[in-house]
Amino acid sequence: MPHLPVVQRLIEALRCLPGVGPKSAQRMAYHLLERDRDGARRLARALDEAGERVRRCRLCRSLSEDELCEVCANARRDRSLLCVVETPADTQAIEQATGYRGLYFVLMGRLSPLDGIGPEELGLDRLGARLAEGEVRELILATNFTAEGEATAQYISTVAREHSVRVTRIAQGVPVGGELEYVDQDTLSHAFRGRRDL
Amino acid sequence: MSHPRRVALQPGHVLHQRPYRDSSLLVEAFTPDFGRVGLVARGARGPRSRMRGLLQPFRPLLLSWAGGGDLATLVGVEADGPMRVLAGVGLLSGFYVNELLVRLTARHDPHPALYHAYVAVLAGLQDSGREEPALRIFEKRLLQELGYGLLLDREATSGRAIEPERLYRYRPELGPVPADEGAAQYPAIHGRNLLALAHERPDFDAEGLREAKGLMRNAIARQLGDRPLKSRDLFQGAPQRRSGARGSGGDA
Ligand SMILES: [Zn+2]
Repeated sequence: MPHLPVVQRLIEALRCLPGVGPKSAQRMAYHLLERDRDGARRLARALDEAGERVRRCRLCRSLSEDELCEVCANARRDRSLLCVVETPADTQAIEQATGYRGLYFVLMGRLSPLDGIGPEELGLDRLGARLAEGEVRELILATNFTAEGEATAQYISTVAREHSVRVTRIAQGVPVGGELEYVDQDTLSHAFRGRRDL
Repeated sequence: MSHPRRVALQPGHVLHQRPYRDSSLLVEAFTPDFGRVGLVARGARGPRSRMRGLLQPFRPLLLSWAGGGDLATLVGVEADGPMRVLAGVGLLSGFYVNELLVRLTARHDPHPALYHAYVAVLAGLQDSGREEPALRIFEKRLLQELGYGLLLDREATSGRAIEPERLYRYRPELGPVPADEGAAQYPAIHGRNLLALAHERPDFDAEGLREAKGLMRNAIARQLGDRPLKSRDLFQGAPQRRSGARGSGGDA
């Protein structure tokens, strides 16, 4: 039996979520309709509200309800430290895992010439302008450890040096609790090259 | 040309990868026996995928795939030796080389010699300060493999041997002509630098680097057509030690 048109539309809409194919979209739709109408209404309201109210922070470009996000608006954060990440999710991860007290700049991507994403598309001119203001003393590069993330870090470091800003890159190494024998070759090789004095 | 249904442990490098469907990656790989191939890595975007870390550019791999269509399914990937450490200009130049291969080679067009040249240029790009000569040799071999090899050791019309100290102008699709015989709109290059490219002994001085870059930039631009290379943008911000990917020769 075919789905009702309205149910079909719901299934199609759910498929915009990452990792959700036709089968799981169908399961979600019927779950909401048959077992959890309250949940469905809450979800609809939350989506609607978030869609209306969430925008980009003027300074760091992460998601925010106001012109400035909570981090950028917080007067107690250290404005001389700026951490560059690829996505808002990376900002969240750092906020939760570290005691970092500086500010962020979210690239919303990474340099990827074959996808047509160059410095301009990432808004690196705005980052340059921010550095030119002179408030930032250290730029922390926390892009991913992929070839594209490394190239992005590399490119930004040249921009930062033009503005005489100190540039650091987050370290890369053996995971906590990791035993060398079981760590993959690349991670071990990076960790070895990044060794430091004790 | 028909493609085999199953390929096991083919050496290769990832040129590019992008998200594909729900949780997969579409990988553009370059291999010696099958040229450039499009491979779907199923589930490779999952957080626990072991493939994802391996499927990075500049990483020597052994690839296994199945399927005979334009896109095959990646069924196995293994590291083939230690990771290459590309940094700085070498890393950005690596993206330039990959973009050249994606733009100028066709899928399923085998180029064993070009694969060899690719491995050689990646090795060269690891050597800080020697990136430009490595790029020039790669560009020369790329053009040769594509069927647009440059005439480098003889004059175009007369066929006379190139003299090291003489200045030439390189006429596209023809070859070098003595600079005092006109053709002033074409890239200028000294005989010694033409011969260095011909014999792949690129011990260029600053002038030689500039001339060789001008020549190659011009020759490659003819193959690229109207759409410029995006990776060139990466070199615009690099103030010192500009790499070969940023040319002074100007597009033809
Ligand atoms: Zn902000």
